Amino acid sequence: MESDPFIRILAVDDEPDMEELIRQQFRRKIRKQEMEFVFAQNGVEALLRLSEYEDIDLILSDINMPEMDGLTLLNELSELKRPSLKTIMVSAYGDMDNIRTAMNRGAFDFVMKPINFEDLEITINKTLEQIVQIRNARKEHDQLASIQYDLNVAREIQTAILPKDFPAFPDKSEFDLYAAMNAAKSVGGDFYDFFMIDDDKLGLAIADVSGKGIPAALFMAVSRTMLKANALGDLTPNECLQRTNDNLCLENVNTMFVTVFYAILNIRTGELSFANAGHNAPYILRNSGEVQQMKSKGELVLGAMEGTNYSLSVETLNPGESFYLYTDGVSEAMNRDFDLYGEDRLEKLLKTSYADPPRDLIMKVVKDVNDFVDDAEQSDDITALAVKYLGA
Amino acid sequence: MNCEVKTIVDVTVLSLSGRLDASNSKEFEDQVVKLIDSGQKAFVANLTGLDYISSAGLRVFLLLIKKLGDKGYIHLCCLQEQVKEVFDISGFTSIFQIFDDEDSAVEA
Repeated sequence: MESDPFIRILAVDDEPDMEELIRQQFRRKIRKQEMEFVFAQNGVEALLRLSEYEDIDLILSDINMPEMDGLTLLNELSELKRPSLKTIMVSAYGDMDNIRTAMNRGAFDFVMKPINFEDLEITINKTLEQIVQIRNARKEHDQLASIQYDLNVAREIQTAILPKDFPAFPDKSEFDLYAAMNAAKSVGGDFYDFFMIDDDKLGLAIADVSGKGIPAALFMAVSRTMLKANALGDLTPNECLQRTNDNLCLENVNTMFVTVFYAILNIRTGELSFANAGHNAPYILRNSGEVQQMKSKGELVLGAMEGTNYSLSVETLNPGESFYLYTDGVSEAMNRDFDLYGEDRLEKLLKTSYADPPRDLIMKVVKDVNDFVDDAEQSDDITALAVKYLGA
Repeated sequence: MNCEVKTIVDVTVLSLSGRLDASNSKEFEDQVVKLIDSGQKAFVANLTGLDYISSAGLRVFLLLIKKLGDKGYIHLCCLQEQVKEVFDISGFTSIFQIFDDEDSAVEA
């Protein structure tokens, strides 16, 4: 017992000399405060002592006692549900029947009368080792439970922040939009966002925070808020990333960073302008059936270096064409053989479903990834956002 | 993940092999921070054996290069294709000097 300076032993025996004998035999340990004894004359008193002293580590008990004998006491002790409280029985010489019963009722060990105190000390030490092990296991279990709780909180924060009501803009007939985020067990990093900047401009964002757990969830919340605030200031996508990057670098305590892809779709003209900070390149699904990847220029993630510049790219969506954004949780999804789902598989799927409405498209991808991963554990968030332009 | 350390004159060469992700990134970070605190400033990370790097791994490199600041550097060499891709897409290629072989990295 690392923190306890002594062990407290409850000695239960109706023999009047027992207390004197024990105090005498263990006088050195008692004087050095390595051991402390508490005494009871029978099982009933023993239970009283247990409620008086919360820190009794070990019980030394006779079998034959009035009021409540040792075997009945063992039954009572098992009801207390204290797995680290161990009992050593003291039995009459040769009383094998009672010894067997005692062992079956949960006694940890036994010694026989007349007591050999050297042997008793060895038995006590052996019992203590067991007790320490049980307590350590208990501590570790509690620590793990606490970590699990934190991770669940992280996931809840993450899920609560993401807009999940679909159709998102029921009054807008110019486009159809859907998004989904399937969180991995212990992750709190991906997010997507969409909002009208004004009547004509739809802002679309997808992002992936480095790291897991509560720090990642909090950084994700901060990043998302800053990005949206800057976006609603009607900045161009690259200006928006530049400003958000500088904001994040100022606040960045933990060297966290976030990959962000941010686009503005003009729903009158179909013009799609965008900028990319370290995120995996999204796809445009053309009416021709071509799956066109918006190749990344390799510009730096947000939150890494103050003053980073981002470039602007422009494409045009024709009515009927879709824009598909995702995080690397899709391409890096792994199955039991450690194969990656990969971009090739994703592109193939997109090719076959390019005309699908966004919801169907995303459901298909999620299903395909889940089928691929099969019973291996999901290692990262699977996040996607799809917009189909329907024309002004 | 394994990290072997050797010194060539005043350059510390770190040879990484295996995977660098959230499960071991702190260990790697602590190992290199210790070297930096003991006075090492010039580093070359030889990634010949590094099969995979996650964002947690990238984060350690970012942290180290920020810690060194103007006083030191970390050059990278021998990146495997998929690792180079991660550095390219995330833009980390722009903040590290990357070489094809260890000798060039050490000489720089």
